[in-house]
Amino acid sequence: MILLQSHSRFLLQTLLNRVQNLEKAIELDHHWVEFDDVRYHVQVSVKNPHILQLSLSLPTPPLETVFVGGLPFGAIEAIKAAYGVIVQILDPPRDGFNLTLKLNLSKLPQDEENRHTLLVKIASVREVVLGAPLRVILKHLASRTVAPDINQFVALVHRPNESFFLVPQAEKVTVVFPMRFKDSIDIVLATSFLQEFMESRRTAGLSNAPPCLWSQSPPLELKGATDDALSANAGFVTFVIFPRHVEGKKLDRTVWNLSTFHAYVNYHVKCSEGFMHSRMRRRVESLIQALNCAKPDQEKTKKTSQTRSLKRLSLKDSRTNSSS
Amino acid sequence: MDPTSRPTVVIDNGTGYSKMGFAGNVEPCFIQPTVVALNDSYLNQTRASSNMANQYSAGVMADLDFFIGDDALLRSRASNTYTLSHPINHGQVEDWDAMERYWQHCIFAYLRCDPEDHYFLLTESPLTAPENREYMGEIMFETFNVPGLYIGVNSVLALAAGCSTSKCDLTGVVVDVGEGATRVVPVAEGYVIGSCIKSIPIAGKDVTLFIQELMRERGEKMPPEDSFEAARKVKEMYCYTSSDIVKEFTKHDKEPAKYIKQWRGIRLKTGAPYTCDVGYERFLGPEVLFSPEIYTSDYITPLPALVDKCIQSAPIDTRRALYKNIVLSGGSTMFKDFHRRLQRDVKKIVDARVQAATALHGGDIKAKPVEVNVVSHPIQRFAVWFGGSVLASTPEFFAACHTKAEYEEHGASICRVNPVFKGMF
Repeated sequence: MILLQSHSRFLLQTLLNRVQNLEKAIELDHHWVEFDDVRYHVQVSVKNPHILQLSLSLPTPPLETVFVGGLPFGAIEAIKAAYGVIVQILDPPRDGFNLTLKLNLSKLPQDEENRHTLLVKIASVREVVLGAPLRVILKHLASRTVAPDINQFVALVHRPNESFFLVPQAEKVTVVFPMRFKDSIDIVLATSFLQEFMESRRTAGLSNAPPCLWSQSPPLELKGATDDALSANAGFVTFVIFPRHVEGKKLDRTVWNLSTFHAYVNYHVKCSEGFMHSRMRRRVESLIQALNCAKPDQEKTKKTSQTRSLKRLSLKDSRTNSSS
Repeated sequence: MDPTSRPTVVIDNGTGYSKMGFAGNVEPCFIQPTVVALNDSYLNQTRASSNMANQYSAGVMADLDFFIGDDALLRSRASNTYTLSHPINHGQVEDWDAMERYWQHCIFAYLRCDPEDHYFLLTESPLTAPENREYMGEIMFETFNVPGLYIGVNSVLALAAGCSTSKCDLTGVVVDVGEGATRVVPVAEGYVIGSCIKSIPIAGKDVTLFIQELMRERGEKMPPEDSFEAARKVKEMYCYTSSDIVKEFTKHDKEPAKYIKQWRGIRLKTGAPYTCDVGYERFLGPEVLFSPEIYTSDYITPLPALVDKCIQSAPIDTRRALYKNIVLSGGSTMFKDFHRRLQRDVKKIVDARVQAATALHGGDIKAKPVEVNVVSHPIQRFAVWFGGSVLASTPEFFAACHTKAEYEEHGASICRVNPVFKGMF
């Protein structure tokens, strides 16, 4: 798995299970957490097996981002556009959550393919809600305009108390990520990973990809942001998104990949550490083999008839012991 | 951003299946087979045999090209490039590379959580070497940067699953019949009595093999490559525990319509449906555990006799408490009426012994009858996971874990010992 998937696997599994057993009334009350501190809660009660209540909690936004009514701007419109009549937004949301949706599973489309697509879309509720502001800006980019009443640069939340920055213009959108990691080894691996990222953009097959830059110091586009927002121990990554990256179907994928970029780098850093571990283990094994070869051969000279019969006796002993 | 404010991730890795989820829930998020499908083809390919793009991409991202669980089984059946590997055998991890990859996928692809944000609870079987715990700790702390780790013994967690706020009894015998190994483990006050652990080489897999053999001998039309899977599904759907096999045979013969079921399957390769009859296997399958001689001649001690032997080898002051709390765990204990049969058989052995003791004294001194109680509840299949979820939801759990700070200070050797904490009292 190279890219993180946009839908929550467990949520999709739960929805598919419920849809297949719509008449069987069960009690379901499950909560779980995803990366970047996004919490989910799913509830189905025995009285109404068709109704599924889904609650979502978003990461705490830092000071420079704006949450309108507890949700990122554009979120409510995005939900209505994506899900239509099946979903009803409950107000106020469940205690401790930013959003509660009531899903009426009996109103799903009857044909198999549409239903599956819609369920996958419901399972990607995180992408719809958190990615809503980014989606608004990128949609304007596709039509080569700038969204009205948007500042010079926009800060959007992607992790608890951390945000990334967008500089929207008519012809392109510049996205800047300050990368922060807690562990010192992670910082080193992430820095080299991101530098490789920048280098590999130059290979022949990737000329259509967005130009990518990495720098240790904050880039000029972020002049005017608070100092807090500008501290990053693994540098700043800048992407320039052009209209060709957001036309049609590519819009969803671009929104998802950009809003979870930090989680993606985190995942690959951990994979690299795992891979290095396998290589270390292989090395240790080869060294142990070399050590074993160097041992003096004492055991081979002792093969007298007495020891052989002793050995046979001890094997039989162990078998009777294990079967008792 | 405090990891203790988020639910702990509980992962129970067994020989056959792994159960993973978050603490505080009643059931795990995923129950997946413990199997990894790796793509080894890039190691053996020569330049001429494959096209350049394939080899380049396989070589660069080859370490990420693997699947786990049900996906792994599907992929390995569909194409030859993936080889299956089972990292856990008889309860012990044998292939750490595969295990690390398995955990990597569990955390990032299935649970989709950030390991730096949660404490982790992993399980191990009793009698694992302390080095295994060190390796586990090393992988968790170094690769995944978890803030805290607790490695629980699966038998103690199965006992904790029966805990409620009013009574928590960490004394009992856990009969764990899993896919790969069956173990009878006595636990007293939360500590496993290591010298009395008994294990049987017959487990869920052997029951499936026996059913497969019976069906094949009878000449059922099952496609050979799917027969193991079909036998497993038949076992899970139709098997039950009988109280007396002779009576069951006559019951089946008298009313075949009531007892003989039909199994409808679809052959994977061609998609053609097939049906077979399921008859005596329904009760002969689980009978393997109670009379192993029908399956193999190597091993003939039935399960109730082993449970009794195990308790008799435990310290004398714990024996009554152990008889009173025999807990079942593991998928293969889910057969209907399994607990009743086990309780009846163990009680028979115990009563015979009490009578013999009374007879020795000529009937003057009567021994107090021993109460035998086999506890079963609907979550037996993932009783260990549930126990872990319960334990990880108590506030004292976080204090009992090993933290990353301790790991960095002292090294992996801190994982050798895990305190048994009685957070429920």
